[in-house]
Amino acid sequence: MNEEGTNFEYNKKINSSGLWLRGCFVYSRLHLKRSLITLDRTLILVRRLVDFIFFSLAALGWLALAWYFYEQRAVLIDNPLKLATPQYYQHPLILVFLLTLFFDLFLYYRTSVAQAERLKMDYYKLRLDEETGQFKKKTSWNIAETLDAEAKNVLDDAYILASKLKQEEVNPRHLFRALLKTKKIQALFIRLGVDANLLVEKLDKHLADDESSAKAPVLGTSLKELIVLAGIEAFKRKQIATTVLDLAWPCYSHDSILAEILYDLEVDDDKLQNVIEWFKVNEELARNYNDYHKAAILKPWGAMNRSYTAVATPTVDHFSSDLTLSARSGHLELCMDRLKEFSAIFDAYSSGQAGVLLIGPTGVGKRTIIEGLAQLMVKEEVPKYLQDKRLVELDLANLISGASASEAQERLLVCLNEINRAGNIVLYISDIEKLMGISSGGEESFELVEVLIEAINRQALFCIATATTENYSKFIEGTSLGESMTTVGVAEPSFNQIIQILESKASNLEARYGIYLTYSALEKTVLLSNKYLRDVSSPLKAINLLQKSVMIANKSARNNPDHVICSGEEVASAIEQLTGIPANKVSEDEGKKLLNLEANIHERMVGQEEAVKAVSAALRRARADLKDNARPIASFLFLGPTGVGKTELAKTVSEVYFGDEAYMIRLDMSEYQEASSVNKIIGDANGVIGYLTEAVRKKPFSLILLDEIEKAHPDILNLFLQLLDDGRLTDGQGRTISFTQSIIIATSNIGSVTIQESMKQGIDVALIKQDLIDNQLNKYMRPELINRFDGIVVFKPLTEENIVVIATLMLKRIKKSLGEKGVDFQADKDGVAILAKAGYDPKFGARPLRRVLQERVEDEIANLFLANKLKRRDTVFIGSNGEIGVTAGRML
Amino acid sequence: MEHNSFTYFAKILARVIWDFLYFPIWWYSAGLLKTVRGVGHFYHHQEVSLNFLVWLKNIFVPMYGQHDIAGRLISFFIRVVQIIYRGFAMLLVLIIGLVFIAFYLTLPFMILFAIWKQLF
Repeated sequence: MNEEGTNFEYNKKINSSGLWLRGCFVYSRLHLKRSLITLDRTLILVRRLVDFIFFSLAALGWLALAWYFYEQRAVLIDNPLKLATPQYYQHPLILVFLLTLFFDLFLYYRTSVAQAERLKMDYYKLRLDEETGQFKKKTSWNIAETLDAEAKNVLDDAYILASKLKQEEVNPRHLFRALLKTKKIQALFIRLGVDANLLVEKLDKHLADDESSAKAPVLGTSLKELIVLAGIEAFKRKQIATTVLDLAWPCYSHDSILAEILYDLEVDDDKLQNVIEWFKVNEELARNYNDYHKAAILKPWGAMNRSYTAVATPTVDHFSSDLTLSARSGHLELCMDRLKEFSAIFDAYSSGQAGVLLIGPTGVGKRTIIEGLAQLMVKEEVPKYLQDKRLVELDLANLISGASASEAQERLLVCLNEINRAGNIVLYISDIEKLMGISSGGEESFELVEVLIEAINRQALFCIATATTENYSKFIEGTSLGESMTTVGVAEPSFNQIIQILESKASNLEARYGIYLTYSALEKTVLLSNKYLRDVSSPLKAINLLQKSVMIANKSARNNPDHVICSGEEVASAIEQLTGIPANKVSEDEGKKLLNLEANIHERMVGQEEAVKAVSAALRRARADLKDNARPIASFLFLGPTGVGKTELAKTVSEVYFGDEAYMIRLDMSEYQEASSVNKIIGDANGVIGYLTEAVRKKPFSLILLDEIEKAHPDILNLFLQLLDDGRLTDGQGRTISFTQSIIIATSNIGSVTIQESMKQGIDVALIKQDLIDNQLNKYMRPELINRFDGIVVFKPLTEENIVVIATLMLKRIKKSLGEKGVDFQADKDGVAILAKAGYDPKFGARPLRRVLQERVEDEIANLFLANKLKRRDTVFIGSNGEIGVTAGRML
Repeated sequence: MEHNSFTYFAKILARVIWDFLYFPIWWYSAGLLKTVRGVGHFYHHQEVSLNFLVWLKNIFVPMYGQHDIAGRLISFFIRVVQIIYRGFAMLLVLIIGLVFIAFYLTLPFMILFAIWKQLF
């Protein structure tokens, strides 16, 4: 026998196939016939009609009563005592009222019966044996009986559909088609951003097989199976009936064509499951909300427990806040999916430990767990030793403020004493490491935290505390505090769990900002927050990002009231605002821009086609998300003589890819020639902040230019080895800094002479490169580092023609700045060539050109301005001999 | 089986008539059970909020952590007073519940009686 099986098997006794669940055979059997369906539906209509008529009659009765009193208003005012005599009520209107009272009773009966019928799963009848875990009363269960009215109606619709299409069997696709008519499932696909009409259109093409049957259809095996699975799911969630939401998932998983159709509409397993979960969680939350408030009313209001054995705790009350009280009033956030952590906490207390320490990175939800614990304590759904107790948070700042160390110590002692005597307090201390390092001074120095440790070791109180992973390893691990408490690790929730946490917050955000959230918004929130926000952990960073996105959507909705949807695009915009990273899908415009990257770069860069091509290809790969996610976007080593455009290309890439030159972080490696300068780059434990790590931590999306890398100390080069390989570095404070959104460009002048000479001889660039790697680079850098770069690019020395083009580009910039002053600028081709020639030096590339243009053009123009020989509307020109002249503009 | 309009009509009529016939049966079976359960829940809720049993169980446990003899004595007497007071309150709650059930049971007859009085 399959205990909690997933394999369907045939049961002769019941003459049906089904699943074994806790010793009970679960199957589904439904008697569907068109005539029966019509009968049922007509009956429902007739009953509604009867109810309506009775309701009207009952209302009429109450109206008669009201009318009667209206008629007697004079008596009511003059002599109300008269109302006490029975004779007073002898009146036809009263008779009408009395007669119609039976209709009131009838309506009460009808609503009660309907209410009872809604309860399809009675968990008293379905209770399990505690020892064996098997059903106590059930050996076989026709789970089709648990379908609620809406689900049953959908099934009827599916049957009618199959019968209209003359199909032999009703299959999951028919059911799914019928499900699409319900409001809930329609809302579900709106959340998914699926065009319902398109879905219906695609689905309708696949509803009928080719063969049509003359007989009435029967329920197909896969349909019966999926009803069983839906019912079991509803049972496991302790629902009162199986609903259309329970049917949706098994429908999808039982029909491959349906899955294909949805896949085409960008819906996959995870998406569908998470959205169904979203709706179910919301239903559950609404149910729990009512139960919670019913339970919360019974929690004592104040410091005293139910049996009045507790003691007043004025000092504790002064230095703390009562979390159970906040939970009772419903002020605390909801806690989702933390069963594992709760059971670890309870296990620790059950094993006789008095102190529990929750450890996890910032934003992982430690505080939410504490608040969840407070809520469980309000509902009293905690082990006996925590029942009828208060969870009280110690306010450390308040405890320490305005007091010397010894006074603080005394305050804490009094608090702990009170807690011990009261016996109904669980103490919560947030960021417990703050208690460390406060000592009363003097020779017999005594730390504040020792007071607490001693109380925990004596088991004088229940204590729960939190600390970040970082602070735990830095301050607590290995100390007596660490040893006196049981640690419970709080891990980041999984992708789907974070989605579900966001789903639980969604309705609140939607109501507050008047925005409708799609599933893609939630999905993108988790994806992008994981990718780009590194400082804080999930789920906090995801929650914050979602909030920001909703605010952006709200802002745009104010300008365009028809657009109230927050989708993935708003999330990408939020990321862009927070980090400057263009995280949107590659748009058509941007696609074109990326495809024409070479041309764009060449607007600023002259020559160096090979280098530009290599860099452009790497950037396209990165933007299309085809790169390895655990490494930097791209890494290059630029080799070549000075002044050939290595830095210029880096700047251009920064502008083209990140949108601004300011995204470039430049490190002149000649400043890092000592081994000790590692600290300058990554910082150290004494609080020195690393230049590189800090810059990248703040702006993960950046271009890092390592100028003259060969001059750095080998220890520093080893750092880059790890950086290029894993895409991360650990800084002096122990934080992991991610470089996966960075472009790394290192430049070097090594082998400049070789390059120049080899080029002159016309040797192939590939050969030159190999020669440089084999014979020159290896003297300064280890081969593994050289191999880590995505590309080693050799920059060619500039030719005279290149210099002319560069001169033209530089003159364009001068023209632009003159234009701002209202002065025009023109240059003769021959004149430019003469200037270019003057600025050309094969050894220094384009660098001397800048000086020449400065001296012979910019300085001259400046002099003209100062001598007042140049006015608005004049034109400055460079003549054919490279001289500067002015043509006067027209006078106004 | 042939299903024409007549058989449909007959079946629906039978079901609707059964709805009416079942009404008095329901009132004194499932309906009564519902009322008794409701009164039970009300009683239980009052019991928890009055903590009668908790007071009874802790009759010899000193209040406010006063473990000295005087504290114990005072506490015992206070608890006795509290238990008497809470006991009365519980009794009242019980009586209200029972009266409500009696009212439910006799309600149809009371209405009938009132109608009879009106007519004759």
